[in-house]
Amino acid sequence: MTGYLVAILTFVSLAVLLGFALNVQWGQAGMINFGLAGFYGVGAYTAAILSKQGVDGFTATVAAIATTAAISAIVSLATLKLREDYLAITTLAFSESVRLVLMNETWLTGGTNGIRDIPRPLIGLIGGDQYEVFFLGMCLVLVAIVYLMLDRIIRSPFGRALRAIREDDLVAATLGKNVLTLRVKAFAIGGAVIGLAGALHAYYFTYIDPGEFAGFITVYAFMTVIVGGKGSNRGLLMGACTVMVLLEGTRFLKDFVPFLSAQQAASLRLAMIGAGLILILIFKPDGLSAEYRLAVQKAGGPDLNP
Amino acid sequence: MTQALLNGVVSGLLIALPAIALSLTYGILNFANFSIGAMITTGAYLAYFANTTLGAPIFVAAPVAAIGLALVAVAIQRGVYRQIRNADHITLLVASMGVAFVLENVISFFYGADVRTLDVPVARPLLWKGLRLNHEQLSIVIVALSAMAVVALVLRRTRLGRAMRAISDDPELAEVRGIDRARTVDWTWAISGVLTALAGVMIALDGIVDPLMGMNYLVSVFAAAVIGGIGNPFGAVVGGLIIGLVEETSALAISTTYRQGISFVVLALVLLLRPQGLFGTARIRR
Repeated sequence: MTGYLVAILTFVSLAVLLGFALNVQWGQAGMINFGLAGFYGVGAYTAAILSKQGVDGFTATVAAIATTAAISAIVSLATLKLREDYLAITTLAFSESVRLVLMNETWLTGGTNGIRDIPRPLIGLIGGDQYEVFFLGMCLVLVAIVYLMLDRIIRSPFGRALRAIREDDLVAATLGKNVLTLRVKAFAIGGAVIGLAGALHAYYFTYIDPGEFAGFITVYAFMTVIVGGKGSNRGLLMGACTVMVLLEGTRFLKDFVPFLSAQQAASLRLAMIGAGLILILIFKPDGLSAEYRLAVQKAGGPDLNP
Repeated sequence: MTQALLNGVVSGLLIALPAIALSLTYGILNFANFSIGAMITTGAYLAYFANTTLGAPIFVAAPVAAIGLALVAVAIQRGVYRQIRNADHITLLVASMGVAFVLENVISFFYGADVRTLDVPVARPLLWKGLRLNHEQLSIVIVALSAMAVVALVLRRTRLGRAMRAISDDPELAEVRGIDRARTVDWTWAISGVLTALAGVMIALDGIVDPLMGMNYLVSVFAAAVIGGIGNPFGAVVGGLIIGLVEETSALAISTTYRQGISFVVLALVLLLRPQGLFGTARIRR
């Protein structure tokens, strides 16, 4: 049971990291990333390939972060001055292309067989028995660090400029903000966080294959952000937990509906998750927690409940 | 080479059908329908259902699938997109991705991930001066061209077409002039469903039916629509042909597994060099 809880909390940490990334790109800068799964794959494969070559875990993780951030910056360039739909298309197409490379460039990625036995960082020091707990601790610390860093960024003038662009890029440009640079930076920051999550994914599972980096990862991440409240990193923690409860809860579906095959139960589960996403958009578009706003104070009225 | 060009034209016409559908809904509703890939798949499975389970011959199954998908598309419009029509277009994009996820998984709930084929007689390809055109390709050409002709007639000659173009140009002005927006939007989705289903059936005829078949065309369809200037149905046809030709001729040099990757490169180039597409007009967005 403890093992199960540790695993779930590790998944939640990864989901939270992806949510953070999407919250910078989409929540703050208004840039939609439908190719999140592809960037996640880039991070995971970079870390895995380097680790297999004998590079230590820390360096490989840094490399994964840097690679994903750089590729994110390049992909976001394709949008220059365009509306957000085009970024959505470009990122989705990018993600599909990543999947093709992962599946076909067997010399590098192992093709559909994936990469197995990815060495875990510091396993010699910690030992196999306690490793899962140690890994969870590491994930939680990283989540905390990323949260604090993003919080600083969001509250900084840079974050303010991002939100200005999100609301109206023409006005922001007129006021002298370099819209393109700001957008590329925001997308790269998000990409860096996705790269980190990807590296952790590779180390946690020690086995990766192209099938893991398909569209459902992107859907989960969007759901996390939408449930939590777009733009709010605090709400995101709740969002990730809710999504995880849904995901894990529906996993037991087949125990209650015995006439479904495992494959049918899996499809039904994913369909319900998609339907959940739509229902949230219809009935609770602002999510559980609204975006953090600086210095917006309600006008003082009579306190009716002293 | 000539064979590759011929194949390119055929697959271009095929890609053009959903690209027109995408452009129509984009023009009217101002959001990119990311479920278009899943809609292609749904159309193919509807035909598969009519063809194998109900035993209808393919020329009956195809219209059944077209009408079926038109109804599904209108139902989705009413049940999902209309409910959140006041949200920004990004929310609609995300919703359409949710729709795609639901459609794909409902299909694999019923049919699993197995690869299937339609029950159609196998026929010898037509040969002419060393060029090969199989019957499936011939049907693609005939169906695609007739569908395009019908769409062009509807857009140019009917009241509905005028209403669609009016809404696409200026929704508020159209509303003031008494055009029933909700009805026009429903009809747009119906037409979009018919075109997409036909494309799905044609893809299934020429190859296989599996839950990811539409997804494999998503990038090409979007690339075609963007090249043509998204929102412009006639541009989408040209965009489709360009993508079809590029994909087929590049297959001579690059492995066909990277077909979608090629479309991605073309898409990225167009977005960088001529973002409004070949037939779009650059305008300041507000």
